[in-house]
Amino acid sequence: MDDSKGGSSRAVHISSEQVQRFCEFLYRRTGMSFAESKRYFIDRRLEDRIAATGSSSFQEYFSLLRTDADQEIEHLINSFTVNETYFYREEHQLRCMTASLLDDIVSRREPGATLRIWSIPCSTGEEPYSIALWLMENWPQVDNYNIEIVGSDIDTRALRAAAEGIYGDRALMRLSRDIIGRYFTSVTGGNHQIDEGLRNSIEFTQANLIDTKDMMQYRDFDLIFCRNVLIYFDDASRRLAAENLYDCLRPGGYICLGHSESMSRISPLFRVSRFPDAIVYQRPEADHG
Amino acid sequence: MPLIRGKNSGASSESSGSPQAALDSPDADSRWMAARAFAGQADAVPALAAALAREPIPRVREAIMTALIRIGNPASIDVLLPYLRSQDAGVRAAAIEALQALPEAIAPFMPPLLSDGDSDVRLLATELARNMEASQATRLLCELIEHEPHPNVCAAAIDVLTEVGTLEALPTLERCAARFAATPFLPFAISVAMSRISGEKS
Repeated sequence: MDDSKGGSSRAVHISSEQVQRFCEFLYRRTGMSFAESKRYFIDRRLEDRIAATGSSSFQEYFSLLRTDADQEIEHLINSFTVNETYFYREEHQLRCMTASLLDDIVSRREPGATLRIWSIPCSTGEEPYSIALWLMENWPQVDNYNIEIVGSDIDTRALRAAAEGIYGDRALMRLSRDIIGRYFTSVTGGNHQIDEGLRNSIEFTQANLIDTKDMMQYRDFDLIFCRNVLIYFDDASRRLAAENLYDCLRPGGYICLGHSESMSRISPLFRVSRFPDAIVYQRPEADHG
Repeated sequence: MPLIRGKNSGASSESSGSPQAALDSPDADSRWMAARAFAGQADAVPALAAALAREPIPRVREAIMTALIRIGNPASIDVLLPYLRSQDAGVRAAAIEALQALPEAIAPFMPPLLSDGDSDVRLLATELARNMEASQATRLLCELIEHEPHPNVCAAAIDVLTEVGTLEALPTLERCAARFAATPFLPFAISVAMSRISGEKS
């Protein structure tokens, strides 16, 4: 949907009942939940989308949204989420990785074995590089295993940027000066390029989550980070993506989704695993079902 | 450096046998892979239907249903519909989820489902309207509510209308509230639905 379509952003009255109806829809569709205290936040974004789509009322916009005309749901979700990515985003999952998940995985593996971690979609690389940095800084067993990290995305331009590994200050805002000093070098334009050794340690590939043949190349991952992408798919595609991800994991392997996503609403294939730092999903070790 | 770069992303373990034969395999993983290989192939519907009928493993049933969804034609819907009558709640729920993923293809099947002689089937069918286009879902559910004798079926339809209904549902809901005045939870549910649909306080 062309955001210029609606012209002015005149305010449209949205009643409490309509907001409640919208919130129920949004929760059912995406898992995103907003309390009444976030009313200002919801109203502002709804008003913007109503104006951007040229809708004359909440009812008209809601109807457009439900039928997903012009992929409006994607525009809406984009307006409700912070799209800008950065290093150490959703840090609790990285903590969970080194405090719980990897220790569980290596309890079944000899030292020297290979651990495989997949970041899909990896966009411009902040996430796979964050995984690498976090492991080196926070996992005492990091030298005892060979760790392969693969970053995949459907967008080849993003992959090229990821391989280049050049970031501005905002992407690095969660990293300490010490880490920036040790793993980045300054380049032109006030940007920072991640260390060549780290760039060379991550394999970047193109992959489409809902292309089963494409996904058959990817197997035996111990841990998958698949954050904030399933919310964009329709029900049929989400099921297919869940099955594809299941095939890519080793039995006993884990998958981390975005904070507003729940595998339980998508597929019964995975078991919910609650850890102190995060809720993740596990492919059962011995799969009887 | 503890991190290594993988030489490739992982070898494919694609089965070399035919998917048709693999659907009959005693090995669940082979049946799972075969079902996934059939996704989107319309001529595989009879084989998938036969496999679904005898499949005991939920994970494999799920993959067969996903393959049928990817096909998404009337023949694949015909395969899924009988599972709405299953005595197994897990199978019924899986069938609903599968059919909900096909909101356009399911539309021609809705009138007979919503007038089925089994009230459980009518109740489950209301859930299939949730992902349909709003005016279509409203029309179908209102037609049901106008004549539905079972309060639980009406309640299920009202629950869906609360989310997806349009203003056209309001007269039907008013009549339903009057008809079930002696069943207090329904007028209450209807008042909530009407306020949501109209965007006004009840």
